[in-house]
Amino acid sequence: MDRRTAIQNLALVIGGAVLLPHCSKSNPTAHFKHFDITYDQQTLITDIAETIIPKTTTPGATDLNLYGFVMKMVDECTKKEDQQSFMKGLGEFDSVPKKMFSKTFADCSKKEREDILKSFDKKDNGYSKDLTAFYQGVRGLTVWGYTESKYFLTKEIVYELVPGRYNAWYPVKNGKAVAKNG
Amino acid sequence: MANLNVDSAKERTFDAIVIGSGMSGGWAAKELTGKGLKTLMLERGRDVKHLKDYPTTNMYPWEFEHRGEVPMDIQEANPVVNRCYAFHEDAMHFFVKDQEHPYIQTKPFDWIRGYQVGGKSLLWARQTQRWSDFDFEGPARDGFAVDWPIRYKDIAPWYSYVEKFAGISGNKDGLAELPDGEFLPPFPLNAVETYFSKHVKEKYKNRHVISARCAHLSKPNQIHLDQGRSQCQERTLCQRGCPFGGYFSANASTIPWALKSGNLTLRPFSVVQSIIYDEQKGKATGVRVVDTNTKETIDYYARIIFVNAAAINTNLVLLNSTSHRFPNGLGNDSGVLGKYVAFHNYSAHIGAEVEGFEEWATDGRNPAGGGYIPRFRNVYKQETDFLRGYACGLGAYRGYKHNYEGVGEDFKAGLSGKEYGKWYIGSHLMGETIPKESNFVALDPSQKDAWGVPLLKISVDYDDNDMKMQKDYVEQLTEMFTTAGFKNIKAQTNHQAPGLDIHEMGGARMGLDPKTSVLNKWNQIHSCKNVFVTDGASMTSTSCQNPSLTYMALTARAADYAISEMKKGNV
Repeated sequence: MDRRTAIQNLALVIGGAVLLPHCSKSNPTAHFKHFDITYDQQTLITDIAETIIPKTTTPGATDLNLYGFVMKMVDECTKKEDQQSFMKGLGEFDSVPKKMFSKTFADCSKKEREDILKSFDKKDNGYSKDLTAFYQGVRGLTVWGYTESKYFLTKEIVYELVPGRYNAWYPVKNGKAVAKNG
Repeated sequence: MANLNVDSAKERTFDAIVIGSGMSGGWAAKELTGKGLKTLMLERGRDVKHLKDYPTTNMYPWEFEHRGEVPMDIQEANPVVNRCYAFHEDAMHFFVKDQEHPYIQTKPFDWIRGYQVGGKSLLWARQTQRWSDFDFEGPARDGFAVDWPIRYKDIAPWYSYVEKFAGISGNKDGLAELPDGEFLPPFPLNAVETYFSKHVKEKYKNRHVISARCAHLSKPNQIHLDQGRSQCQERTLCQRGCPFGGYFSANASTIPWALKSGNLTLRPFSVVQSIIYDEQKGKATGVRVVDTNTKETIDYYARIIFVNAAAINTNLVLLNSTSHRFPNGLGNDSGVLGKYVAFHNYSAHIGAEVEGFEEWATDGRNPAGGGYIPRFRNVYKQETDFLRGYACGLGAYRGYKHNYEGVGEDFKAGLSGKEYGKWYIGSHLMGETIPKESNFVALDPSQKDAWGVPLLKISVDYDDNDMKMQKDYVEQLTEMFTTAGFKNIKAQTNHQAPGLDIHEMGGARMGLDPKTSVLNKWNQIHSCKNVFVTDGASMTSTSCQNPSLTYMALTARAADYAISEMKKGNV
């Protein structure tokens, strides 16, 4: 990524920032409307999101503050029973890295972190309903936040507010549009 | 003091009053002001000015705090409106919240409302089809409700009249069951929709898949430009209000036109309590209004009154307009006012995967939504074990192929992939329902709203005919999809409450006989000739076409008649 793109991307990131309760080392608990999140939990969810959408030559989950989006949606757009399930699952999450690698998620390597998350795709993984709900919640919201981030919709798959056209017969060759588009 | 009152009454006197500012009220105002009548338009909600009051219209997806989702506390506080397909973060400010105007559901009824200038014309799905004589002759042929007092020939010129002004895109398909109109160019069917259209035509004599006809300016004419509107930009963000005036709404079209005449006084925040009936004169003299800001009760006077409060609320206004002459509601000699309410049966949909057509996709967005299958059941003769028939919405689409499994770099890169995936096709049921006396709205005897108006009790339900129709739709569409070679066909039925179709109709039906109807063939109350009802309340039967275009045509026709009757001194 050249400097110019980096600066542009940084602008996009800041443009999408959400103001939310946030923890720091000196402020160990963030009070959301419906629950509290500790600094360790914030770090964990941030790390999970970054594992799902890592920083590459383009911004990742942390750059795009997808943690903020995930928590906003869990806090404000989720039913109470699902929030409770999410929080319970969050509490159980540590058991997975412990069982697989005998350490915390924070201490795992990138590869180990990916393996941990991929274990959720396996059938018969024995994970509880709450644990599964927590991970799938974080995953779904992270992907949603990413694919509807300003960065993604202006740089990856461009969202047009005003298409000004409907081409009902748009030629495709080998799965790709013949004409260059967004 | 006496003089002051006279002056004040003078200031509150108009040639015409229009109750309601939505789809049909806008038309009434345009027609009446256009003929020089000083007209007062009353709207119970706030003003929504074209362009100025569309706060979300130019927002990008990422600019919505919840990416379009309605926050859970709002969802949970509003279970009824939350079930509406268009109730999202981008347009929720145009919907009535459940508690703002309570009503009593004797049976479940999702009453979806838009209390603002423009009403639901801001929010509608913009599908516009004419009725044919197969619809107007339906009740008489099949023995339900009462005979319509009009036929297609009576309304055809008025369809043309409103279509030219509103701007309707479509094809001249030459179908007897769905008469052609004054069309702007259609939004074409895509590759799969076209294939399906050909397949259906070959396999079935009387079934057709056509481009959906819709109120979008695919190519504006001068009359549309004169309204300050411009070409539809295929945004498909219509529910936010369109900065281009690309689709027809009262806000973009009829109301500004009426205002331009200098003859319109628009009064928002005005809940109509009742229509004032003068026992001596034997006619209505005005309208009693509660100002929702000041809580003041104010009477307005006019020679003619158009009631366009939207079907259910029009019933409410009429039922609450009691007098010595009309103890059971204005014009209710027959006792049918509030009864024979009907709706559209939206209780099924179907989807499938489509193989092939890999050399085509679509680009941009289709404001028409895709195709439309006009009614094909029981058109020429009764042929099933249920009465009437249904139309089908239809759309095929193809998106990018994305692998949603996995995590990490490859997964992330995959989300940006632009390789097209499979085609999918879907359809939904839009069925005619039979108006029945047992489907009704009535005033609650004791409970009142914040403006002193009795609460409405709504008692409307499906019947056996609707369920048979639902079954037939699933069978027929499954067969049509199967023979077309579509795969993994999945039909789903639901029992969504009536009302969620947002096509509630009737209660003050038109008819030939004053003993069994409220309105005559000019939408005029039989027994109170200077009051006209031209919204959904006037509908004798429902057809299966989307109703708004017919309300517009009936309104323009009734306004023309009202003016000629005024000139003759008859009203």
